[in-house]
Amino acid sequence: MGVLLLVGTRKGLFLIRGGANRSSWELEGPLLTGWSVFHAMQDPRDGNLYVAGNNFVYGGTVQRSSDLGQTWERSEGLGLPEETGLKLEEVWHVESGHESEPETLYLGATPGALFRSGDKGETWEPLMGLVQHETREQWQPGAGGMCCHSIQIDPEDPKQMYAAISAAGAFRTDDGGETWMPRNKNVAADFMPDPFPEVGQCVHKLLLHPEQRERLWQQNHCGVYRSDDRGDDWERLEGNGLPAGFGFPLALHPRDPDIAYVIPEEGAENRVTPNGRLGVYRTTDGGANWELLQNGLPQQAWAAVMREGFASDRNDPAGIYFGTQSGSVFASASEGDEWMEVARQLPPILSVEVGEWS
Amino acid sequence: MVVVRIPSLLADQAGGQGTFEVEAATVGEALRGLPVRDLVLDERGELRRLVNVYVDGEDARRGDGLETPLAGAQEIRVIAAVAGG
Repeated sequence: MGVLLLVGTRKGLFLIRGGANRSSWELEGPLLTGWSVFHAMQDPRDGNLYVAGNNFVYGGTVQRSSDLGQTWERSEGLGLPEETGLKLEEVWHVESGHESEPETLYLGATPGALFRSGDKGETWEPLMGLVQHETREQWQPGAGGMCCHSIQIDPEDPKQMYAAISAAGAFRTDDGGETWMPRNKNVAADFMPDPFPEVGQCVHKLLLHPEQRERLWQQNHCGVYRSDDRGDDWERLEGNGLPAGFGFPLALHPRDPDIAYVIPEEGAENRVTPNGRLGVYRTTDGGANWELLQNGLPQQAWAAVMREGFASDRNDPAGIYFGTQSGSVFASASEGDEWMEVARQLPPILSVEVGEWS
Repeated sequence: MVVVRIPSLLADQAGGQGTFEVEAATVGEALRGLPVRDLVLDERGELRRLVNVYVDGEDARRGDGLETPLAGAQEIRVIAAVAGG
């Protein structure tokens, strides 16, 4: 088995196959030309590829491939019911369901919409408890629209899930998606009159640690946060080495819950890497301290990495990967200590995920 | 019988087929019979904003839209509006 990077770009999907020691890489693509691939992932349960693809004329689709991208099938009837007064705008993120529900997947979309499929992505039903949430009038769209971009499933309890929407905040369900509770305590919304509202936070990415189910991380418009109680409360973590709290992507170590990675930007008004330098920042102590990782990264770069553009594999040592809006993919086979550029001059990169090939 | 021609991106989504012969009384009925109907029409069954449809060279939006009758029509062309980046 080798590492397979799924790189979604504004102009199609690219696959990058890693050699056995993750030091050689082979580029394939573009696939699904004409489609803006907001997110592509491989379902670890059956190896299928799923793409959340958008076209400015033909709308949002989910595409599935059971042969590593050689052929694709499009889902049917994706949309929001008329009684919501909403229409589907764009699809943003596909997430595998719980291991015990092998046919189930979830899809996040604009405007603030979450869907579930019970047939491996052929058809999708909106989760109305979130789509028609009682706080919806207080939500507002971020620069990318009101996108539901983060969906996380509890590894032990399939009924417990998290969803995050910009700018509505983080939500948790304990009943399989029927009802959703805002989980934004102590998460700042500095752009609101009340900087700590119940909802309205601009969460940029939210991840649940795969082996410590109480621990969540989020990169927000207003800081980096960690929760140790399933989102009931959040602690702001920036400072101590982080040059800025603003940024989009987030990656976690596959085993150690104290290790996380961010790629900050100067701020909301200047969305490039700070000080003209592309750097990954790593904490190994739960966010108390951050160190700059830049061995092998360009020393002069005004780069930006989008919210889906950062991923880790499950090897030991863990591989860490990210793609830039300027079309470069960087890989580290050493948990971030050393980096190499494994592709360049791709179209603007929207997402990076890790799968496997054999 | 009317011939419907679709752009190459849509043909890719229809197994490579870019031309269809359909029996239909209106533009809407013809489009709903395509395997890419969900890409041409939105979830309400309305024509997507940047999709243009021409019936023998006449813009269907200048007619009755999806209700435009096809009596005697030879060809429907589905064309993406000039837009994007």
